[in-house]
Amino acid sequence: MEEKENLIFSPSPHLRDATNVPWIMRQVVFALLPASVWGMFVFGFWNGFLPLLWSVLSCLAFEYLDCMIFRRPISLRDGSALVTGMLLGLSLPPGAPFWLAVAGGGIAIILGKQIFGGLGQNIFNPALVARAVLLISWPRAMYTWVARVNFALPDIESGIAGLPHGVDVVTTATPLGLWETYGLAAIREVEPSILWRLFTGQVPGSIGEVSALLLLVGFAYLLWRGIVEWDIPAFFALGLTVIALAGGENPFFHLLAGSAVIGACFMATDYVTSPMSRKARIIFGLGAGMLTAVIRILGAYPEGVTFAILTMNVLVPLLDKLIPVRFGVKRT
Amino acid sequence: MKTLSFRGGIHPPTFKEKTQEQPIRSFPQPEKVYLPLLQHTGAPLEPLVKKGDKVKRGQKVADVHAFVAAPLHASIAGTVAGQQDYPHPVRGTFSCLVIENDGTNEEEKAEPIQENEIESKEPGFFRDWIREGGMVGLGGAAFPTHVKVTPPEGKTIDTLILNGAECEPYLTSDHRVMVERSKLVVLGARILCRACGAKKILIGIENNKPESIAAMREAVSVVPGEWEIRSLPAKYPQGSEKHLILSLLGRAVPPGGLPLDVGVVVSNVQTAAYIGRMAQTGLPLVDRVLTLTGDCLVSPANLEVPLGVRLMELVEFCGGLSSEPRKIIMGGPMTGIAQVTMEIPVIKGTSGFVLTCDLYEKHEYPCIRCGRCVTTCPMHLVPSDLAKFSEFRDFDQARDWYALDCIECGICAYGCPSGIPLTQHIKYAKAEIIRRSRKGGK
Repeated sequence: MEEKENLIFSPSPHLRDATNVPWIMRQVVFALLPASVWGMFVFGFWNGFLPLLWSVLSCLAFEYLDCMIFRRPISLRDGSALVTGMLLGLSLPPGAPFWLAVAGGGIAIILGKQIFGGLGQNIFNPALVARAVLLISWPRAMYTWVARVNFALPDIESGIAGLPHGVDVVTTATPLGLWETYGLAAIREVEPSILWRLFTGQVPGSIGEVSALLLLVGFAYLLWRGIVEWDIPAFFALGLTVIALAGGENPFFHLLAGSAVIGACFMATDYVTSPMSRKARIIFGLGAGMLTAVIRILGAYPEGVTFAILTMNVLVPLLDKLIPVRFGVKRT
Repeated sequence: MKTLSFRGGIHPPTFKEKTQEQPIRSFPQPEKVYLPLLQHTGAPLEPLVKKGDKVKRGQKVADVHAFVAAPLHASIAGTVAGQQDYPHPVRGTFSCLVIENDGTNEEEKAEPIQENEIESKEPGFFRDWIREGGMVGLGGAAFPTHVKVTPPEGKTIDTLILNGAECEPYLTSDHRVMVERSKLVVLGARILCRACGAKKILIGIENNKPESIAAMREAVSVVPGEWEIRSLPAKYPQGSEKHLILSLLGRAVPPGGLPLDVGVVVSNVQTAAYIGRMAQTGLPLVDRVLTLTGDCLVSPANLEVPLGVRLMELVEFCGGLSSEPRKIIMGGPMTGIAQVTMEIPVIKGTSGFVLTCDLYEKHEYPCIRCGRCVTTCPMHLVPSDLAKFSEFRDFDQARDWYALDCIECGICAYGCPSGIPLTQHIKYAKAEIIRRSRKGGK
C-alpha cells in the first residue's frame, strides 16, 4: 500500500460545517437590503443610494489601504468592511455629502477596527464609532434631513399644513427631533397615525433606519439562518420599554423611532462587540436599551442608540467573564 | 418519564445511509493477525505465549496483573509467529503478537452460562467472568468492562444504561447489532445488570434508528426484569455517557465524576452483545462488528471481523477503493483518529473506519466572537477563550475555565465559521494541564 505519502494526518473533528465568515457577512448584507431599498424610495434614489455607495467604497478602500500600509494580508475577503460600510451608510442622513461618508468610512475602519488589530479585536462597533465621531464633529451635516414630500413631517411651529407643493424632496424634521422639542402629543395632533408611519417607514430619518418592518424582516432572515440570536434585541426592547414607561413616555414610539430597531437588531448584535454567553447578552441588551431611553429622555441629543451601544461595548470584556454554569453543577 | 435533553449539541449530516441497511457480513478467518498488546484504556499487556506456540481461537494469549486491564485472546487458531512492533491505530506503533493461521480452526471456549443461572450466580462471579472474557467497551474508548461494573465501597448502582445512541456520523455497527442480535444484547445486559447490581435496565437509542428501537422492544418483551427502551432525539453528542445519563434519567454527572457517582453504569450495546455471545457459546471477545465506510470505498459495509485483521484486508474484502483516500479515520469523523497507513490492525476499540477524499477544510479567519462554540458546547464551556488561553500557553487560566471538563466531542471546531481548530487547542491545553499537575506543580 503506497498511500502513506498522500494521507492527511490531523486531529479530530474531521468534519466541518459549511458556515464561514464571508458567508455570514453576506447574509447580513442581504438582511439589510430591504431597508436600504426602502431608504432609496423614501428619500429619493440618489439621496439614499449615493451616501450608501460612498460609505461602502470608502470602508473597502480604507481597509485595503490600511492592510497595504501595515503590510498585513489584505482582509477584504472576510466581508466585514462591507458590512461596516453598509451599516455606516444606512445610519447617515439622506443626501449626506460625499466627504461625510468618506470621512465616516475612514474613521470606522481605521479608528474603529484596524487600530485594535483588525477583525475580531475591536472593542467598539466600527460603524457606531464613525457615527459618534460624525455626530460630534459635523452635527449640522448629520442633522440635516430631507425626504420626499409624501414622507416628510409637517413643521409644527410654522403651521400644520405647511408642506410645499410642486417639489419632490423637502427638508424636514424627524419624529425624534419633533418629539425632543414638542413632545409626542404635539406630533399626534398633526399626524395621528405617527406610530403606523414609524412602523412602516413613512417618516424622515437616516437612510436605513426608518422602516421598522423591513428591518425586522431582515432580522427574521438572520434568525432563520441561525446567524443571530433573539436575546439581545428582545432585551434591548425590554430595557427601552421599562425606562420609557418610567419616564412617562410612550414605549411604542421609542421602540419604533430613530435607530432603535436597526441598533438593536443589527448593531448591538454585532458578534465582535457583544458578549458570547446568554446571561451576558441579556445584560448587554438590557443595558443598551435602558441607556438609549435614558439618553433620549434626559440627554441633549434626541437620539441615544449610538452612545448607548458604545457604552455597553466597553463592558463586554467584563461581561464575558460571566461564563455559563458548567455541566453537572447545580445553579446556585 | 419525559425524555429530557441537554443544552448544546449539533445536527451534523449522518452519512449513515451508506451502510445502515447493510446486514453484518462475516469476515473469513484470515491468514495472519496482528494483535497489539494494548487493546484498551489501561495498562499494556504481557504476552503469555512465545514464538512457535500453537494457540486456539479464544485462547488467552496476553494478560497483566493490573485492575484496569483486560486479557487478550487469540482471534484465530494457529502458530505464534513472534512479537514485533507494528502500526497501532492510537499509539503510532506498538508491540504486537503475530499469529499465523494453521487452518485447524480449533476453538477454546469457556463454559456457557444458562439463562436461568444468571440470577443464582454472585455478582463477583460475573465480574471475574467478564474480565476473563477480555470484555472492554466496544463503543470506542475500550474501557475494561469489569472495572465499570465494580462499584467502589459505599457506592451503589441502581440503573444499567445500554448506549445505543451511536451519534457519530457514518457509523452503523451498533445499529446493525441491535437489529440483528437483539437477543444477545438482552442476554448480555442481564449479565451486566447482575454484575453491577442494578435494578433497572434502560436502553437509549436515537430516534433515527426506528428499526433498532423496534427490535430491542421486541427482544425485551419476553424476558424478566424492569426494562425500558427510550427513543432519544438524534443530536450529537447524544451518545456521550454524561449526556445520555442526563437525557434518560435527568441526573447530571458532576465535573470530574463518573457515571457511578450518580448510581449508573453505562455500557455500549455491542459490548452487551458480545457478553451475550460469550454466555451462549463460551467464546471470549475475539471478534467485533465495525463499519467500513466513506466515499472512497466501492461497497461500504458492516463487518464482523476477528481482532488483528488489517485495514487493507478489510478494504480488499469489500471490493477495494473507488478512489484514493486522503484521510483514513479510525472511529467516527467527530472524535476518530486519523491514520497514516492501511496496515493498522483492528483492535477492540475499532468502531469503524472512514476512508474519505473529502477533507472538509476551512479557510482560517480571526475569531469573530460569534459565540457558536459557546452555545453549542455540550459541557457549557467557552471554547473560543479556552483555545486562546491554550494558544498563549496560559494553562492556569485554561484550567480555571474548566478545560478539563472538555469531552473532546469536536463540536466547537465543527461549527466555527472562522475555521479555528478549537478542539485541538483545548486538547493541547488539557494534556499540558495534566502533565504539569503530574510533575507536582500547581
